Amino acid sequence: MASEPLAGVKLFFREAIGRALRDEMARDRRIIVLGQDVGRFGGSYREFAGLYEQFGPERVRDMPVAEASMIGVGVGAAAAGLRPIVSITYMDFLMLGLDPLVNYAAKLRFKTGGQLAAPMVVKTTAGAKGQGVAHSQCLEAWVMSVPGLKIVAPSTAADAYGLLKSALREEGPVVFVDHKRLFPTAGEVPQGDGSVPIGKALIRRRGSDVTIATHSYMCRVAEEAAQRLAADGVSCEVLDLRSLAPLDMSTLCESAARTKALLTLEEGQLPCGVGAEVAFRVQAELGALRVGRVGALPVPVASSPILEAACLPDAERVSVEVRRLLSTHEVTPAKRGSA
Amino acid sequence: MILKLVVPGSIEDAEELRVLEWHGTVGQRFAARELIVELETHKAVVEIRAAQQAILRRVLAEAGSWQKPGDALALLSDEPTEPLPATATGETLLVEFEVI
Amino acid sequence: MLLIRTFEEALLQRHDHGFQLLSSGQEAVAVGLCAALQPGDPLLASGRSIGAALARGVEPRRVMAELLGKATGPCGGRGGRGHLAQPSAGFFGALALQLGGGADVVACIFGDGACGGGALHETLNLAALWRLPLLLVCDNNGYSVSTPRSEALAPKRLADLALAFGVPGRTVDGMDVLAVESAAVAFATLARSGGGPAFLECVSQRFASHSTAARETRSAAELLAARASCPILRLQQRLEAEGILSVERRAELEREVRSRVEEALRFADASPYPDPSALVHDGL
Repeated sequence: MASEPLAGVKLFFREAIGRALRDEMARDRRIIVLGQDVGRFGGSYREFAGLYEQFGPERVRDMPVAEASMIGVGVGAAAAGLRPIVSITYMDFLMLGLDPLVNYAAKLRFKTGGQLAAPMVVKTTAGAKGQGVAHSQCLEAWVMSVPGLKIVAPSTAADAYGLLKSALREEGPVVFVDHKRLFPTAGEVPQGDGSVPIGKALIRRRGSDVTIATHSYMCRVAEEAAQRLAADGVSCEVLDLRSLAPLDMSTLCESAARTKALLTLEEGQLPCGVGAEVAFRVQAELGALRVGRVGALPVPVASSPILEAACLPDAERVSVEVRRLLSTHEVTPAKRGSA
Repeated sequence: MILKLVVPGSIEDAEELRVLEWHGTVGQRFAARELIVELETHKAVVEIRAAQQAILRRVLAEAGSWQKPGDALALLSDEPTEPLPATATGETLLVEFEVI
Repeated sequence: MLLIRTFEEALLQRHDHGFQLLSSGQEAVAVGLCAALQPGDPLLASGRSIGAALARGVEPRRVMAELLGKATGPCGGRGGRGHLAQPSAGFFGALALQLGGGADVVACIFGDGACGGGALHETLNLAALWRLPLLLVCDNNGYSVSTPRSEALAPKRLADLALAFGVPGRTVDGMDVLAVESAAVAFATLARSGGGPAFLECVSQRFASHSTAARETRSAAELLAARASCPILRLQQRLEAEGILSVERRAELEREVRSRVEEALRFADASPYPDPSALVHDGL
């Protein structure tokens, strides 16, 4: 079955990232790591642990707190023939590097007529975990629409390994988005090549009543909701997008054509969000079907645990939305946090 | 008395843990606060020490294995020849742990 | 310098000249700098790219084609003035800083307007920390569009910005090509010998407004004064006074330049526009 991972070794999420980097850096001398706290410190989540010791300060460089120049240096290095991975610890601060990412990295191949390209990975950690309004954001939707940029988001250790390997081999810029709440998790990572193609979604759980299209940490929330709903006889198909740009329309449409109901689920904001794009694109191909979206409430995510929990989608909210979707054939008025 | 060493439930941010290293062998008597086993969370190492003296009798979770909070790691006893149960039952051993 | 000036004059006469930032008046900065660069040294320029591209040796016909959006430009018409690039000639328009691996010196031209931005300070910091062979050349024409330097930037001497990072800085007359060249050579030599980065401020004057879309803010008298310090005239007068440049030779040079510019226009006019149907396929 497509969703069963190959037998391998169980690793922490951070170890899967580290392994992908170690394997690729050993194979390709052009790969360098740039970021805050990536050297001796080994990364804020210890995802870079051991790389500095193995590959040295030339290839694993600590940067000052200056996201614009971190990405800018990355673009320049990539244009000059290296393959940098730039680590932006919090996705919230990716905003400071959007100009070099969007106006330089993403556009380089186009605007030079193919003379230059920027093969680089920007790895960044999204998600809320008690750290407050400027350290909690999920901004994947902001970069999904940039021509020239690919966006990937793993939800498991295996996919962190596989997608990062693929990203490091791309000929253009890739944004690799992981999530704070994925780091405490662990999973089987294949022993072989293990690379996961960019642009391919994965059905995590087969179902027949509704397709829940989601990514990153929300895959676990979807899985939990699916288990609850199964007890009431509702069969949910959980589809892990894995790649946000490009989207895997083939897998999405095949699933939604079978279930005839689509619920998108994201931790980010709904306006112009991942779900807005997925829902429209699927309907554009299949024609009208029952569609719903679940996302964060339209407020900043505060650090207070009660407020944070109230802002974010959980299994309960997802279950409620699935039931609402399946109980009506018409579009109901949009509620806050779902539409 | 048969004592059961379990993964503490109160280790912060630990969903799954990996057994890193046992600091002794079956039959060994551990003094109170002596380091028995190290576990790994995704970000730290946890040193587990018994709050009392006990003898390690059966290791249930080998180094490299994965456990969750509350899972049984080993059986210990006060006396060296107490018969061991077939399953992992016993009074939960009081432990102290330190996150490194 | 003559080529740049003649090229831009010819471009401006066309009704389809497009959105341009002209280098007229500021030719000495790019030309003086390029005299200090070797073929393998990349030059990164800003949006005021025509002078830099021509000074670096990109063929006038290719530059003209790119500016007019034709497929025969080095970027296939997709970059335009703002993103003129020909890496094989050592010229990148509007690109970020390089890590300096491989090249002897990387030179980067930017205007005074860039000096208020964090990116410049971040660049100075990194270049100093890593001792990068980076020559930062500030083409200070005294205005950020309409805002005079004194109202935009606290330091009177922009080269002083480098001192905070321990990077050597110098201010020279940007209307004197020999002064620019001399200073550029000194700093390039420093960089090539592992001496790290440097900041060269060239005080210049532009003859036109900031861009073809921007209104002129200076008075007629100010514009006249700017023209009086023309870098081409200055060099010409010096060479004539030293007996190096004869009247005939000057006329010959002017004819050659005019002929190259006319050829560039003919080439660009004869070139096709890029094929829009190839857009989405080529985009990524």
